[in-house]
Amino acid sequence: MTAVDVDPTPVEAPERTPVVLLDQVCRVFPTEPPVEALRSIDLRVDPSEYVAIIGPSGSGKSTLLNVLGLLDRPTSGRYLLDGIDTADLGDAARAAERGRRIGFVFQSFHLLSYRTVEENVGLSELYLGTNRKDRRRRATEALDRVGLSHRLGFEPIRLSGGERQRVAIARALLGEPSLLLCDEPTGNLDTANTESVLDLFDDLREQGLTILVITHDSEVAERAQRRVRMVDGQLTEVA
Amino acid sequence: MASIVRASRSRSGRAARRSARDSRAAARDAAAASRPRFRFADLVDETLAGVFARPARAALTTLGTVLGIASLVATLGISRTAGSQIVGRFDELAATQVTVAARTTGSGSAERAAALLPWDVESRIDRLNGVVASGAVAEVSNPGTVRTVPLRDPENVTERLVPVYASSVGLLDAVRGEISVGRWFDSGHVQRRDRVAVIGADVAAQFGIDRLDAQPGIFIGDELFTVIGILDAAARDEGLVSSIVVPYTSAQDRLQVSRPERVVIETDIGAAQLIAEQAPIALAPNGAEALKVTAPRDPTRTKNAVQDDVNQLFLLLGLISLVVGAIGIANVTLVTVMERTGEIGLRRALGASRRHIALQFLSESMAMGLVGGIIGATVGIITIVSVAGSRQWTPVLDLWLPLAAPLAGALVGLIAGLYPSIRAARMEPVDALRAGT
Repeated sequence: MTAVDVDPTPVEAPERTPVVLLDQVCRVFPTEPPVEALRSIDLRVDPSEYVAIIGPSGSGKSTLLNVLGLLDRPTSGRYLLDGIDTADLGDAARAAERGRRIGFVFQSFHLLSYRTVEENVGLSELYLGTNRKDRRRRATEALDRVGLSHRLGFEPIRLSGGERQRVAIARALLGEPSLLLCDEPTGNLDTANTESVLDLFDDLREQGLTILVITHDSEVAERAQRRVRMVDGQLTEVA
Repeated sequence: MASIVRASRSRSGRAARRSARDSRAAARDAAAASRPRFRFADLVDETLAGVFARPARAALTTLGTVLGIASLVATLGISRTAGSQIVGRFDELAATQVTVAARTTGSGSAERAAALLPWDVESRIDRLNGVVASGAVAEVSNPGTVRTVPLRDPENVTERLVPVYASSVGLLDAVRGEISVGRWFDSGHVQRRDRVAVIGADVAAQFGIDRLDAQPGIFIGDELFTVIGILDAAARDEGLVSSIVVPYTSAQDRLQVSRPERVVIETDIGAAQLIAEQAPIALAPNGAEALKVTAPRDPTRTKNAVQDDVNQLFLLLGLISLVVGAIGIANVTLVTVMERTGEIGLRRALGASRRHIALQFLSESMAMGLVGGIIGATVGIITIVSVAGSRQWTPVLDLWLPLAAPLAGALVGLIAGLYPSIRAARMEPVDALRAGT
């Protein structure tokens, strides 16, 4: 009997690429006088993190979300999304990266009233060029994940607010994004619906999704692992 | 010192800029390579969904294009139909006939002109290039009654008043006559001044003449002529079928005929105009202007004149409706773009590029134009058919018309959609999302 030779030193896990890495990001709006919405922001979000950004209105939360979502460009500083320097991307490439890596959840849901629930969800992969059949299948799966598989053919107008937001989340989940960006996701919901949406976020985080929520609702922020406060365009970690 | 620092900084800045530019270009190439395509089937889906989201509005929007295309198609089709109708009357028979006659306006000149017309037209006219046949003819002014037997039988009506013509040999061919029994007279008969006659089929039936082997005779007035042939048809002069034709020489001798009244000429197709100019001179070199020439009108000129009359106003109206239709589509698409600002923001957030947004609105306006074009072409064709039907015309439609009309509609929609699409594509996603909440 020979002993199996086991390497005593465990292999060092390579450092995982952060989903979001902001390095001295500034955003100045060229109004008169100029408004510094973001002042030298440093932020790192690792995979599977659930981060809440809290702060009063006008603090620059939305600007930060727009920069993170590639909807807006920083005036200076670097933003790496999945390790890609976003400064190098042109307009069309940013649109493509947005579609591929980011799932948006808005306060006002942004569902198209003239399309069915399933079509609304499928819209997310429209610009990725996947074929219709796969898209439908994945839309059904995503709706199943948010517990709405029984609402496939409904028009959004016939859904409750909570259901609408869950449809919007299903849409954001389609295409396996690296980052779920949520802008006041519970702002238009009552307590019960807020609870169900937050429970859903917990489930999604456990499944490994990276979630970043912008809110001024402390109850929502409480559910995140990590809270970051934003005041006057500057970020501070909350213990 | 300061200047050195500035110089070195600017050099390093240039280098940094260059490297940044290189890496940007590389990233752009990589992104372009991996950038997925917006599938055509999806574009069609999105377009249909967008248009049918507001069906009433889409229907009203296409109305202008429908009217424009319909009036264009109807105008072009009806004028084509009417044009063909007029051209249709210029059949081959009429287009190859030239008649020369004495002018009858002036009182004294008519006889003078009649005196100019010769009998030997074949030798003068048939030489002209483009002439198929020619013949001179004159009606015998007072031939008297015609009968088959010299006796006046009160019980049997054997006397009739029948028109009698004197003619030259070429008349048969010039009027496209057909002899059913016997023969037409020839130049020998003319030279010998034979008393022979060719009778029309109607006359033959009236007198009960159907066989010529017994050489039946016929009395014109008191002059006896031998019937040598029965004329069955004469396409250019149907009257000859109920008449009697005799050689002009014997008519001169026996029936007091002096000069031909008219000369009938058959020409090649397309030669009628030319022969109409040459024939009077060939017939009467000294008095051509006293002769009246009847020739078919130039068919192409007729057609153009008709089309010009009918078309211009309606074509203009059609074009104006089309422009109005385009403005309508542009207007509604612009309103739609403004209404769907939030949707544009959402689509941009979901990965749509500016090009995708422009493409979607462009294809929506193009779809409305295309549908307008298809309906307009249908309405236009129905109009053509009903107008043609009410006038008992044969509807004539150029094949390209029903195919080109929808394309024209789509083009109108495309042009109309350009500005709204550019507006939509230029929207910043952040602003669009904020405005659309």
